[in-house]
Amino acid sequence: MRDEQLLQFRDRAPRPVKPVDDDEGGQDEGPRRPKVERPNTDDILKRMRKVDPNQARRYRQRTGE
Amino acid sequence: MGRLFGLETEYGIQVDEVDHMDVVVESMELIRCYLHADFVALWDYGRENPRLDARGFEVDELRNDQDEMAHLQRDRERKIPLSELKSDLIIHNGARLYNDHTHPEYSTPECYSLFDLVASDRAGERILLHCARRRTATRGGGVVRLYKNNTDFEGHSYGCHENYLLDRQLPFEQVIDGLLPFVVTRQIFGGAGKVGVELDRRVKEVTYQLSQRADFFETIVSVDTMHRRPLVNSRDEPHADPERYRRLHLITGDANMAEFATALKVGSTALVLDLLEAGELPAFSLADPVAAFKAISRDPQRRWIVGLEGGGEISALEIQRGLLEKAGSFATGRDAETDWVLGAWEEALVGLERNPEELVGRVDWVTKKWLLDAFVESEGLDWERAEDLAWLQSQDLEYHNVDPEEGLFLMLEGQGQVERLIGEKGIARALVDPPEGTRAYFRGKALEKFSDSIRSLNWDSIEFALDGKVEVVDLKGCVDPDVAARYNRALDRAREVGGLIAALKASAEGVE
Repeated sequence: MRDEQLLQFRDRAPRPVKPVDDDEGGQDEGPRRPKVERPNTDDILKRMRKVDPNQARRYRQRTGE
Repeated sequence: MGRLFGLETEYGIQVDEVDHMDVVVESMELIRCYLHADFVALWDYGRENPRLDARGFEVDELRNDQDEMAHLQRDRERKIPLSELKSDLIIHNGARLYNDHTHPEYSTPECYSLFDLVASDRAGERILLHCARRRTATRGGGVVRLYKNNTDFEGHSYGCHENYLLDRQLPFEQVIDGLLPFVVTRQIFGGAGKVGVELDRRVKEVTYQLSQRADFFETIVSVDTMHRRPLVNSRDEPHADPERYRRLHLITGDANMAEFATALKVGSTALVLDLLEAGELPAFSLADPVAAFKAISRDPQRRWIVGLEGGGEISALEIQRGLLEKAGSFATGRDAETDWVLGAWEEALVGLERNPEELVGRVDWVTKKWLLDAFVESEGLDWERAEDLAWLQSQDLEYHNVDPEEGLFLMLEGQGQVERLIGEKGIARALVDPPEGTRAYFRGKALEKFSDSIRSLNWDSIEFALDGKVEVVDLKGCVDPDVAARYNRALDRAREVGGLIAALKASAEGVE
């Protein structure tokens, strides 16, 4: 994973790290407007069908600050 | 934008495929997955006091709900010291990464640039995802998942707090009165959306609301953050010269997945604070701000009408429109980021008035609702059926999953259906580099160059060990960009700690 290569998760004994090249094309700085007229949702609906219906019921947290 | 700001985000943590997990230990171990070496406690807690109230007093203790008091009682029986449990880390991008009360928390470095802040916020997602994957690989069973959201749907909330440096001369009463109408109504573009209602079982008819957090607020102003939460938090802990500054600690906001929403939420708040400090903020006096906060969030008609003190009604859109117009006349052309905020604010309000779906990929509550509606239609579900609603809550949760292979928002983003403000290169930089020209730069770079000499640190100071003595570098003045530039220049030039300390002392005496 690129982020992991990049991070090298430096601690108190750091080692030099430089950002990897951006290989995703077109992801330069600056806002990019999405095309959202009616995007294709097939892939994401497939993922949603795999979500466990009880996932939220199992998800119990403690109050945060 | 000319104001120092930052975000603190507590993440929800879940370990699937195990019978039991201790969330305190799990969160601690997850944070330590950032490290290659053993944890060394460096954070200086002696310089923190969240009990000081901006209204001029100090409370004995912060309040907790009954659930939490029981948990805390058990926590006190643990054998692990607090500093170990919290596992506070300052990392090289200037951020703080730690276990805040059972939630992994990432506090961005303080930024002057809005887009730097958004980049750092995104970097926090990546850093914690990395930690979760390492923890999954090393814990001996179970899959660790992290959620950038604010609720467990069962009455337990955790925050995405915002921090803004303010002029101390502004009386705190004016901060409260001025902020309330904005804070109550900005959820129309800042809300992350939530399936269902918590803590009020009488409300059955609301199946979807704008805000993750609105259900949890009970009062106007208070120093508390965990129980009887206030619309305006009065914690008085500026991390800067207390004679000159306040730090507004705003706790009402949701954790946003959409970069546009994060930027607009913070940017519009910064502009409202500019108006407030300049005495130019339009006055709207709400009859019942706490009730209005909930009512706007829960309004199924999306009319967002609230009562005014003394009679009459006004919509959230009208309030936001009034604030935007004033901000526009006050700040247009000041700098590129301000102009972006003004433009985005306008687009958001126009979209909300005309057709909220225009804001898919930019406003979280709209994006989430759009996805959920598509799923309901596809599967023939019914928002009114309890079992279907539970599944939709699970989808709501997965919207906030920070793993791009699972998280619904991040999948949308991967498909190019989300507006990006920050490119991958910008996020990559923010993973490792602190924002230029800030106090965070000094903190992050000092850690990178001289970590072996650092004895302790906090937001506003670093203690160095030097020749058997302790040298404290007070960073309170570095909230001033000119002072920060001077300190950062000295740090960049220094080859060893002694040289840095000498340079800072000479600089304070006007010699550089």
